Amino acid sequence: MIETDQLHIGYDQQTIVNDLNIEIPSGKITALVGANGSGKSTILKALSRLMKPSKGVVYLNGSSIHSQKTKELAKQMAILPQNPEAPQGLTVTELVTYGRAPHQRGFGSLKAHDKEMIGWAIEITGMREFANRPIDHLSGGQRQRAWIAMALAQETETLFLDEPTTFLDMAHQMEVLNILEKLNVQEHRTIVMVVHDLNHASRYAHHIVAIKHGNVVKTGTPHEVMEAGIIEKVFGIKSDIIKDPRSGMPLCLPYNLCEEQAASPIFGS
Amino acid sequence: MQSIFSGEWERKRRRRRILVFSLLAILIFIVLLFSMNSGVTPLGPLEVLKTLFGFGDSNQNLVLFQFRLPRIVLALLVGAALAVSGCVLQGISRNSLADPGILGITTGAGLFVVLYISFFSSIDAASPYLLPVFALVGGLLAAALIYILAYDRQLGLVPMRMILTGIAVAAGLNALMTVLMLRLQPEQFDFVAIWLAGRIYGSTWPYVYSFLPWFIILSIFIYYRWRALDTLTFGEQMAKGLGLRVEKERLLLTFASVALAASAVSVSGGIGFVGLIAPHIARRLIGPNHALALPASALLGGLLLLFADTLGRTIIQPSEIHAGIVVAVIGAPYFLYLLARSNV
Repeated sequence: MIETDQLHIGYDQQTIVNDLNIEIPSGKITALVGANGSGKSTILKALSRLMKPSKGVVYLNGSSIHSQKTKELAKQMAILPQNPEAPQGLTVTELVTYGRAPHQRGFGSLKAHDKEMIGWAIEITGMREFANRPIDHLSGGQRQRAWIAMALAQETETLFLDEPTTFLDMAHQMEVLNILEKLNVQEHRTIVMVVHDLNHASRYAHHIVAIKHGNVVKTGTPHEVMEAGIIEKVFGIKSDIIKDPRSGMPLCLPYNLCEEQAASPIFGS
Repeated sequence: MQSIFSGEWERKRRRRRILVFSLLAILIFIVLLFSMNSGVTPLGPLEVLKTLFGFGDSNQNLVLFQFRLPRIVLALLVGAALAVSGCVLQGISRNSLADPGILGITTGAGLFVVLYISFFSSIDAASPYLLPVFALVGGLLAAALIYILAYDRQLGLVPMRMILTGIAVAAGLNALMTVLMLRLQPEQFDFVAIWLAGRIYGSTWPYVYSFLPWFIILSIFIYYRWRALDTLTFGEQMAKGLGLRVEKERLLLTFASVALAASAVSVSGGIGFVGLIAPHIARRLIGPNHALALPASALLGGLLLLFADTLGRTIIQPSEIHAGIVVAVIGAPYFLYLLARSNV
């Protein structure tokens, strides 16, 4: 379980997140949702120790992540940032091999277990047939799966993903989300992701954290969070919430902007 | 599962790697032989071999062991050092245009070498063993200056800004050196002119001995960190996520690459572009993996500088063109080509 205790996060003088207390349950898929510039990516970075909070503590299974060695943490949590870049000519297998970096040292070469994990990660993300292709020759969806495979090869209990489906078409978005769901169901991995599409969050996550201006507006199951009033507050839109006839989960159908929201400036993400 | 690591494709790739490394070794051997043969006193290939195995007359011994070999060894080592330094700088800054020469690190080192020499009546009076130390101080100061001037608190080290700052720092340090020249004795003046033109002036064994330990220790230190270098090319966040202590590793690698380039030019003069060209070609030939790109860069750098030095001293005998100038003739267009291609 990941918890935060009075987390303050800011760049320079500017505070982005103030006094944040959230809990991320183990073995569940958690989605962070919010408008552009709401601070959801920043919170993800702080939870995964990519950003240092100016105050407060992040606890992983009861112990502070700030006092642990970054290499030890890399065996417990893997992170896939937004738009990662690979050097030209690197193949999928080579990329995934770097996921083993926290388990290796110095000149050491790949052990049997390393190879097993790399093979498994490539298999489960459906990248077998592209294993020897350079990353820069792949489509956006395949590339994203390759990066997920790299994060999986890290063999961690927790996986953080920052908008893993942005820039992908609908089929590829679903493909990526299905892989994450499979990992959660079959391997009981804890998955924490920033998601843009509210209906994806509702369909795939067990737990949603709705964020506005760096503050948590509501956390809970999709049924608890997906309410017209909450969505109006978080996103500044008026919407109807209906039941997805297939999954039984709530679906959000926006129909207009709120009056005051339409006039207020929008911050960049 | 195993086939990902041992398929047809992997075999092909391994063959290509072996081919690249053997080709480089053969090329170096050919240039090496040619370099030993040619010069003011011509030695035939057979004579070279005879002399190498201890059957030469005193004149041949003198020419080969005291004049040619130290210079050849130094050209190989300096070329390799500059190439490895460039490879590291490019890796940690994620900038294919980074090079110790372009960034002014070698000029900073040169300035301090000149200051050191100017305390003595001539280069021969100064101990060669202290040269790398002074060069290191100058190189580190130049690197720190670039870092302070180019660093942006929000964006970090932006590649183009870093290059532009480096060029400016190099120009400034060059100007400083020229000013210094005007105040020097004729003999010291000659030395600075030679340094600026990039002549491999340390052509006796003591210079080799003074540089060799730096080369060995720093190369091993850098090679041990090939995985960190690879991880850094994914960007800071990814590297952190993979458990790398980004700030520490970047600092150590910067220090090592600056020290390597600075100690190299303290015995060779200001040679640019090797650190730019060699790693770039190496990555093209062998891929981005530093476990292979580092040694390939080293071999290419050594080959390039030995070739340039040999060409420079044979093409208009008995006069010579300094290696730095020959390298610049090849390197400057290559730099412009890279600049035109890059979209930083």
